Amino acid sequence: MVKVQNLTKYYNGHCAIRDISFDVEDGQVYGLLGPNGAGKSTIMNIMTGYISCTTGSVEIDGYDILKQPHQAKERIGYLPEIPPLYMDMTPREYLEFIGKLRSVEKNLRREQIDSIMEQTSITEVRNRIIKTLSKGYRQRIGLAGALVGSPKLIILDEPTVGLDPAQMIEVRNLISSLGRDHTVILSSHILSEVQAVCDRVLIIAEGQLIAMGTPQELADRMQSGKILRVTAKGNGEHILAAIKKIAGLGAYELVEQEGELTTFTVSLPGTRDLRPAVSEALVYAGCPAVAMQTSSASLEEIFLQLVENDSQIMQAEG
Amino acid sequence: MLAIYCKELKSYFNSMLGYILEAFMMLIGGLYFTSIGLQQGYAEFGYILNSTNFTLLIVIPLLTMRAFAEERRNKTEQLLLTSPVSISEILIGKFLSLVTLLSIPILVYAVYPLVLCTGGDFSLLSAYGCVLCYFLMACACAAIGVFVSNLMENQLLAALCTFCLLLFAYLMGSIQRLFAAGDILSLVILTVILLTAAIAIGRSFRSLTVGFAVFCCGLVLLVGLYRFQSSTLIVVFTSLIEALSLFQPFAVFVSGIFSIKAIIYYLSITVLFLFLTGKSIEKRRWN
Repeated sequence: MVKVQNLTKYYNGHCAIRDISFDVEDGQVYGLLGPNGAGKSTIMNIMTGYISCTTGSVEIDGYDILKQPHQAKERIGYLPEIPPLYMDMTPREYLEFIGKLRSVEKNLRREQIDSIMEQTSITEVRNRIIKTLSKGYRQRIGLAGALVGSPKLIILDEPTVGLDPAQMIEVRNLISSLGRDHTVILSSHILSEVQAVCDRVLIIAEGQLIAMGTPQELADRMQSGKILRVTAKGNGEHILAAIKKIAGLGAYELVEQEGELTTFTVSLPGTRDLRPAVSEALVYAGCPAVAMQTSSASLEEIFLQLVENDSQIMQAEG
Repeated sequence: MLAIYCKELKSYFNSMLGYILEAFMMLIGGLYFTSIGLQQGYAEFGYILNSTNFTLLIVIPLLTMRAFAEERRNKTEQLLLTSPVSISEILIGKFLSLVTLLSIPILVYAVYPLVLCTGGDFSLLSAYGCVLCYFLMACACAAIGVFVSNLMENQLLAALCTFCLLLFAYLMGSIQRLFAAGDILSLVILTVILLTAAIAIGRSFRSLTVGFAVFCCGLVLLVGLYRFQSSTLIVVFTSLIEALSLFQPFAVFVSGIFSIKAIIYYLSITVLFLFLTGKSIEKRRWN
C-alpha cells in the first residue's frame, strides 16, 4: 500500500528525518511511535504531500506522491496534529466540503457523511458551528474528515489528543475497526495506545527509524523479553546460589526480603519455558516457591531501551 | 475547484464583512452617479467610475486579506494541500470567488449607463468599455491582494500591506509628474520601490540575507546611474513608474478611447500575481 524509500528532510540545514525506509501492507494498523520532536509529523506530512522531502520517495498504492499527486492523494485521508477545521462551518458543512473536494458522488455523499458522523459520535452536534464545540468534538470532526471518501489509507497524527478517557477508548475501537477495511497509520507518543491498537510498530527517534515489527517481535528482540518474578521461602543468598546453577537463565536480581520470604526476578531469554527448572532447583535447595509470575516487557520498556541504545550509539559516533 | 469557489463565496457572506464591503462599493458608486451623472448632468460615465477608484483601495485589502492568511493561521491550508486538488485549482477557486464578489457592485454600476442613456446623447459602447476596464482593474488589484495574503499569516498585516501597495500604485500618477523636479527625487522614490521589492523577495525566500543582497545590489545600480547617467535614470525609471501606475491605464478609457494596451496590462498583472502566488505556495512546500 505504501512504500517509503530513503526519506530525508532538511529544514534550514537541520535534519528532521534521515534516510527512513519502510513498507506498509494492506489492511493493517501501523503505529509511528516516538518522543516529541522525533520526526513523526514530518514523515506524515511528506507521505500526504503537504511538504516535500529533500531526498527519497513515497508511493501510495503505486502512485508517487510528488509525480502523481492527484491519484496518490485520492487514496489518503489525513488528520494532522491540529485538525484543519473551518470554524465558521457546522460539522455537516465541513464534511460536505471535504466530500466535494474528494469528488464523492452527490447521491452517496449524504449517506456516507451520516454514517461517518455516527461512527465518530458527532451526530448530535452536526448543525452547530465548529467554533462553539469542545476540543474533543473538534478532534473527532477532524477524524471524521479523514474518513470522508472512504480512502484506502488513513493517516492519523496523534488522533486521541484532547479526548477524555472514554472518548479515547471509543476512538481506539474505531481505529481498530477501520483497520479491517483500510490501512491505517497513526502516530502517537502514548505507548499504551500504540500497543492496544497497532498491528505493527515503527519506532522513530531523532529522525531515524530505529526499530520496526509487531509489538511481540519487538519484545522478543529485546534480551529482557520475559521476566519471571518469584517469591520463595528462605534466605536470599541461598536462593540465588541455587538459581545460578540453572542453565539458560538470564540476569537475576534480588527484589526484596521480608521475613522468611524472598522475592527475586530472573529474565527468561528465548522461548523455552524455564519455570519447572526454577521450581525444581528451589525445592532441592529447601526453599519452596510460594508465588511465581511471568510478565512480558512492556512496549514502554522496549521503547525506552531502544531510544536509549540509539542515543548512546549516536553519541559514540558523534 | 467548484467546492473551493462555493466555500469561499459562502464564507464571505457568513460574516458581515462581505455585505458591508459590497454595500460600501454600491453606496459610493450610487453617490457619485447621483451627484455627477444626475445632478450635474455630466454624461461621461468613465469619469464617474474614475471617481470611485479609491473604494478599491479600501475594499480590496479587506476582501483579499483572508484568502490565504486565514488558511495558514487556522492550518486549514493543510487540508487543501493534502486533498486531491491542485494548487492552481485552489488558487483559481479562491480568486474566482473574489471576482464574483467584486462583480456584484460592478454589475450594479453597469445599470447606470442605461439610466444616463434616457437623458439624451450618450455613448453606451464607451460606457461599457469603461465598466469592462474597471472590472479588469479590480481583478488586477485582487490578484495583488491574494499574493500579499499568501505571504502573511496575519490577516490585518496582509490588509495593511495590500493597502500600502495599492495606495502606492494609486499615487504613482502624481509621483510621475514630480519627476520633472529632478533626478534626486527619482533616486529617492526608486530607492523606496527597491526597498519594498527587497522586503517582498526576502520574505518569499524566507531569508534576510537575500532581501538585503537584492537591496544592496539595486542601490549600487541606482546610485551608479545617478552619478554617471542621470538622464538615463530618469528615462528608464519613468517607464518603470508607468508600469507601476496601476490606475493610470484606466484613465485612457475615461477619455473615451478603447485601449487594448490597458486591457492587456490588467490581464497581465492578474496572471502575473496569480502565477507568483502559485509559485510561492509551491515553494513553501519545498522549504
